[in-house]
Amino acid sequence: MRHVRAALARIAGVFTKHRADDDLRDELQAHLDMEITENIRRGLHPDVARRQALLASGGLTMAAEAVRDRRGLPWIESVAADMTYALRALRHSPAFTAVVVITLALGIGANTAIFSAVRGVLLKPLPHRDGDRLVYLRQSTDGPGGANVSFSVPEVRDFRNGAKSLGGIAEYSEWSHTLQSDNDAVRIDAGLVTGNFFAVMGLSPVLGRLTLPSDDGPGVPPVVVLTHEFWMKRFAGDSNIVGTQLRLDGASVTVIGVVQPAPFFPSRVDALLNMVVSPHHLSAQMVEARVHRMTEVIARLAPGASIEQARTEVAAVYARMQGEHKDAYDPGSHHRVAVIPFKDALGERARLTLWLLMGAAAFVMIISAASVANLTLMRGVRREHELVVRAALGAGARRLRRLLLVENLALTLMGATLGVMIAIGGVGLLTSLAARYSPRSNEIRLDVAALAFTLALSVAVALLLSFVASLPKEGTFASISAGGRRTTGSLRKHRLQRTLVVARIAVSVVLLAGAGLLTRTMIQLSEVSTGLRTEEVLTMPLSLLDPTRLSPEVDAANKALYDRMQREISALPGVIEVGLGSTMPLRGSSINFDVKVEGKALAAGQAVPQADFRTASPEYFRAAGIPLLKGREFSTTDLPGSARVAIINQTLADNFFAGEDPLGKRIAFTGEVLRFTPISGDWRTIVGVTGNTQDGGPDAGPRAVVFMPFAQEMAMLGGLVIRADSNVSALAAASTRTVRRIVPTVPIENVLTLAQIKDQSVAPRRLTAALIALFGILAVIIAAVGIAGVLAFSVSARTNEIGIRMSLGADRGTVQWMILREGGVLLAGGLAFGMVGAFFAARVIRGLLFGVAPHDPTTFIGVAVMMAAVGIVACWIPALRAARIDPAITMRSS
Amino acid sequence: MAEKQDVKQGTLALMILRTLEVLGPLHGYGVARRIEETSKNRLTLNYGTLYPALLKLEQEGFVTAEWRQSENNRRAKYYALTAAGRKQLARETREWHATADLIAAFLAPRRESP
Repeated sequence: MRHVRAALARIAGVFTKHRADDDLRDELQAHLDMEITENIRRGLHPDVARRQALLASGGLTMAAEAVRDRRGLPWIESVAADMTYALRALRHSPAFTAVVVITLALGIGANTAIFSAVRGVLLKPLPHRDGDRLVYLRQSTDGPGGANVSFSVPEVRDFRNGAKSLGGIAEYSEWSHTLQSDNDAVRIDAGLVTGNFFAVMGLSPVLGRLTLPSDDGPGVPPVVVLTHEFWMKRFAGDSNIVGTQLRLDGASVTVIGVVQPAPFFPSRVDALLNMVVSPHHLSAQMVEARVHRMTEVIARLAPGASIEQARTEVAAVYARMQGEHKDAYDPGSHHRVAVIPFKDALGERARLTLWLLMGAAAFVMIISAASVANLTLMRGVRREHELVVRAALGAGARRLRRLLLVENLALTLMGATLGVMIAIGGVGLLTSLAARYSPRSNEIRLDVAALAFTLALSVAVALLLSFVASLPKEGTFASISAGGRRTTGSLRKHRLQRTLVVARIAVSVVLLAGAGLLTRTMIQLSEVSTGLRTEEVLTMPLSLLDPTRLSPEVDAANKALYDRMQREISALPGVIEVGLGSTMPLRGSSINFDVKVEGKALAAGQAVPQADFRTASPEYFRAAGIPLLKGREFSTTDLPGSARVAIINQTLADNFFAGEDPLGKRIAFTGEVLRFTPISGDWRTIVGVTGNTQDGGPDAGPRAVVFMPFAQEMAMLGGLVIRADSNVSALAAASTRTVRRIVPTVPIENVLTLAQIKDQSVAPRRLTAALIALFGILAVIIAAVGIAGVLAFSVSARTNEIGIRMSLGADRGTVQWMILREGGVLLAGGLAFGMVGAFFAARVIRGLLFGVAPHDPTTFIGVAVMMAAVGIVACWIPALRAARIDPAITMRSS
Repeated sequence: MAEKQDVKQGTLALMILRTLEVLGPLHGYGVARRIEETSKNRLTLNYGTLYPALLKLEQEGFVTAEWRQSENNRRAKYYALTAAGRKQLARETREWHATADLIAAFLAPRRESP
């Protein structure tokens, strides 16, 4: 109680300072007067009485100071005084303050924004209960499309029975649905899940319930759990949603609940359904066929089990499977299974790009901190006199250090405030970048953790800045007696400045090299030929098929609809050609099978060749601009009843028919998987060869493709390819209207020109390259200003010396050369260190490059030349100034 | 003349409170004189020691301060004991006696144990 009271009194004391000071003076004076009176009464002479009283008092001023220390909160008051002083000092040098604050803001802003992205996507703990116990299982094979082939139900069953270190295995397959409502139809991304899915994942409902094992199997009512995101977006968070019916692909499904916000893998989904929605998922093929792989597996480690145990066990079970089912694991494809922490799986595609950006941002921070350190060092030299005077007047080293710290804190916090504003803008940009790479992008937030990071960064920089400055020794009078003339500053300080300049140049070179490599990657990517004759083509993917109803009658009806769309769009003004096909040009096909050629056997151990399946109408090739190299296009006579024909692409022709004419040869799809599709394994005669096209992006490897006549195969997928005489994007609206009139309930999405598709596939990389380039340019500017500043400072500090040299006969050229050489040494050092750093940095980002070697000599030489050029210009300015020094004036002024 | 010593840490507050209890409201000069006299001038009390101590007691609520006319018609700040101050004095006196007894027992000439 008494301490609280005392503390409150002291806080109050801070605010009643002036009145209390007067009061105290009066009180002490009264005391003194009484003492003097007493002394006189004792018979002393008034002068002696006064002197004795003063002696006894022990000094009025010191007493007043002692009381004052007791009265308020001296520490806080003096910090406040320091702060006031610091702000006043900064106001007196607005240019310095502005440069420092902006430099810091750029560094802090970039770091804050990118840190929040890295945290949101890679570091933040998963929202799932014990999310670090979740593992993702991935089966891979060699060859195109083999990175993740997923699992079949029998495989999952074997893992469930054999791997006891996996406490629960959730099955999940991606499924695309059309959600119909009274006024529209949208395509939603859904997941079909086993009843235990949510229990294994450790997710809770925010509304209603989640699926349970009782939702598994045939004969149960179909149910749907909405993701939080979709519930908010589509139903505006309607709390009465549970129990309502949704129409999905014509079937009625009951909403049972809404799941808490959480990332789904491999991609974000809108809803999760039980398997009964898809008859296919309950069919014998799905449940019994080991090669029918379409299930993603996420498991929870059993209590006490480590991920290493799980890996060992899974590998053992998998080896046993491969032994027992030789037909399901073609030895040439090298089947393998990896057990990956779920969090790593979620972040794996974003990891390299985000850490690259984080590294680049850290470099920018190093450069801006180094640059600010240099500025404060230079300012420190100018302030040396002030600090010496303060030291001489009794300010201790700690007090001076604190003054500097307060001043630097003021600077960094101003920088941080501005930086956070920059970061607010940056986070939006980064979220859209990360959305391309990770389902967790919506977790990116400028939250408390990010701001704490910013604050920690600011304080760290402030501490650093305060301790690079050297302080005068306590009670130094030497400098004052020397007339306070500024000397050249200590050698240590000078060396430190130079080291900082070298570091900045080196870091700039690394950033520039990274930017150069990524920019060249972008150029290479944009120069990759699509293989098409033109990009002025509009594509309109349009799926009419209900995947649960595959019948010839439905298919015939759908084909009639496609034909009608083709006819009506062809009639629109400006349209030259309209083709139909399963997959749009430049898009990768999601359907591929093993292929075989008549009369050609596989060599032993050779991986079974695969080819993408695509269908095309006779007009498709002309509409898309796919060049026909040999033979003929499909014709209107290639109908269901007529002879089976196929057109292959150049890659497939090269693989199978090197030095032969493929026309007239026969090819067929084969393999176990074919059994689960409506596609036949009949022999088909090759009637044409097309050029290769870059399906799936400019950096996608060449893929073997077999085209079938659109009319001869079931239209599981479909779409329109529209070519016009000019400005094809203007046709999008009219074409969409036409299609909507024909099929009002089918969602129409992704109506894009080929140019847009091409652009989409490189946009995230372009953004990354642009950010790194921006950082690089920023770094070079800061480094150039830094080198010029240090040299200019060196010149002004050496004015005297230069004056003496000139009066002793050195000409302007010699002086200029002297300064240039000084800068040249720093530049060369920075370049050397930077090149070594860039060499290693390039190896790290190798995975992001395309068409350019990590040690691309052109880039490295270009970067070196550019940095050297900028550096030399930066050196020249102070060198010219040095040469203009008038020895007469210099000598006189000293 | 006995050697003068500085007042021991922690004892000054007790001395001030006791002085105010015995003499009633008093100004700083009076307190200082009284303490010096009671100590037979073995203690010296300079302003820098006395006034922070008085302020601390005031902040803790054990004394109140008020400007008044002194006996010889001079304005002076008078300190007076509060109820809390009285209680504190009693407590500190008790503690001091206890401490003094303990120290005395400790420093007493050693008796051989039987």
